[in-house]
Amino acid sequence: MLPAVFAGREDTGSEVWLRSVTFERGRNYLITAESGTGKSSLCSYIYGYRNDFSGALLHDGRDVNTLSVAEWCEARRRHIAYLPQELRLFPELTAMENILLKNQLTGFKTQAQIMQLLEELGIPEKADSPVARLSIGQQQRVAIVRTLCQPADFILLDEPVSHLDETNNRIVARLVTEEAQRQGASIIATSVGNNVLINVDEELKL
Amino acid sequence: MKLIWKLLRKHISASQLIGFSIANLVGLTIVILAVQFYEDVKPVFNDEESFISKDYLVITRNVTGVGAMLGNSGEFGDADIADIEAQPWCRKVGRFANSEYSIYATIGLTGDRAMRTQFFFESIPGDFIDVNDAEWGFNPARPEIPVIVSRDYISLYNFGFAATQGLPQLSESMMGKIPLSFTLTGKGLNEVLPGRIVGFSNRLNTVIVPEEFMQWANERYGTGMKQQPLRLIVEVNSPGDIKIENYMKDHHYDVAGDKMSSSKANYFLTLIIGIVVVVGIIISLLSFFVLMLSIYLLLQKNTRKLQDLLLLGYSPAEVSKPYINMVIVINASVLLLSLVIMLLGRNYYMGMLSVFGTGGAGIWVSLIVGVVIMGLITTGNVIAIKRKIASLWRNS
Repeated sequence: MLPAVFAGREDTGSEVWLRSVTFERGRNYLITAESGTGKSSLCSYIYGYRNDFSGALLHDGRDVNTLSVAEWCEARRRHIAYLPQELRLFPELTAMENILLKNQLTGFKTQAQIMQLLEELGIPEKADSPVARLSIGQQQRVAIVRTLCQPADFILLDEPVSHLDETNNRIVARLVTEEAQRQGASIIATSVGNNVLINVDEELKL
Repeated sequence: MKLIWKLLRKHISASQLIGFSIANLVGLTIVILAVQFYEDVKPVFNDEESFISKDYLVITRNVTGVGAMLGNSGEFGDADIADIEAQPWCRKVGRFANSEYSIYATIGLTGDRAMRTQFFFESIPGDFIDVNDAEWGFNPARPEIPVIVSRDYISLYNFGFAATQGLPQLSESMMGKIPLSFTLTGKGLNEVLPGRIVGFSNRLNTVIVPEEFMQWANERYGTGMKQQPLRLIVEVNSPGDIKIENYMKDHHYDVAGDKMSSSKANYFLTLIIGIVVVVGIIISLLSFFVLMLSIYLLLQKNTRKLQDLLLLGYSPAEVSKPYINMVIVINASVLLLSLVIMLLGRNYYMGMLSVFGTGGAGIWVSLIVGVVIMGLITTGNVIAIKRKIASLWRNS
């Protein structure tokens, strides 16, 4: 497959674009990329909110363009957990409300488990603060907790630790890995620099 | 759902929604009030009444000045009646019988407050009158005179007499309750009998009593001079038949209770109500567009939030729901409020209409009209919201 904006390019030097790539459940992947090579585009294609690409993308053998709205909703609730690079939190809601908005949909974690995660990430006291008042690093941690509040076959993380320090990077890597292992899920993480501390089975250059 | 509402209610413009609600309230109220008014007033213009069928015509001889001078009294002779009976459109003919003695009617309580007037009675064969036998009949052992009075008399009193004399206007039901008695004089007798108004008629332009009473009273008080009838009641196959009209014209007979004027009034009433309804619908339609605009603006301002909710896995239906609920609540409130205003308005005008003797129609028609209009507006709103959110799906 190839994003529409790259149409006409014959060799992108990428291990993903114009190649046949399979992501398997249970294996972890790191996609490294330079800025502007289509990293977020790839995530949006997999998550189904953009389809401006040529070629084919299959979910369990089915062309994603044939999936219905209901099937996409189901995929987003039960199969693919996604952390967008731009986080997409609601600034007027508190950290907890942002997380609950997802958790209400999936019923996946208890409020206590959510608090536990916030505590591990060092922001329990921010639970009731509006997200608008949190630093970008704190917001990223809230978004990560929200991502983990659902059952998943794939945990898709677009630059998950770009705003985190070494310690929090490690904590995030551990929490995500534990969650993935618990569910037998796969982690697909992207990174512009190779600073994601998640152990991966395969690394692909975009 | 509470969290979604907290998120999505942002940018809701109260002033726009109030503007829409008021505009729609005005439009809808105009429509349903007009429809209700039409329904309530319609019976006043219709000549249908329960006492005599539409197939009966009351005819009189057209008395001209010259005719009267030549001694033509306006009576129907036996030959005239036989000729009418022989017509193919005629089913049967009934003669009006007149009272052959002196009558005084006393209306109101006895004493100074009573109104006394010289009076007359007419009767037609009982099979032309459709009134409950218990109410319509006469028993010499317990004499009470049931009468059917022309509705014109009430109009004459209400709009001619009462209005100019500062007296209260009376409704038909009130008229029926006023004590009434008749003093009958003849053959050396002078007796007072109680009376009772059974009903009012548009088409019997006289005072009708049961035929049994007429016979009894004419024997008891009458002079014994048999009069030929001045009026006939004719049952016809089809009252609109042109042959009847031509026959009446040729023989210089008049048909009483000409419906022309009331049908004209009815036509104008329908026309005016039609115009009012159209104006109401236009206001409603404009208010519908105000709401659409307001919703589009709201969705536009909240586009990013809606897209983010869809990204979280909320379905377009779940995301639309708060707005759809909002529209339904607003529209249902407007409908309810306009029904209340309609009922209040109706209450007000029914007071004025009661003198015409109409009890009003049911409110079903206007209720259905209101529900249908609001249903259409709401459906339009809901479809617009769903389409707009569906369009966000792919671009999220």
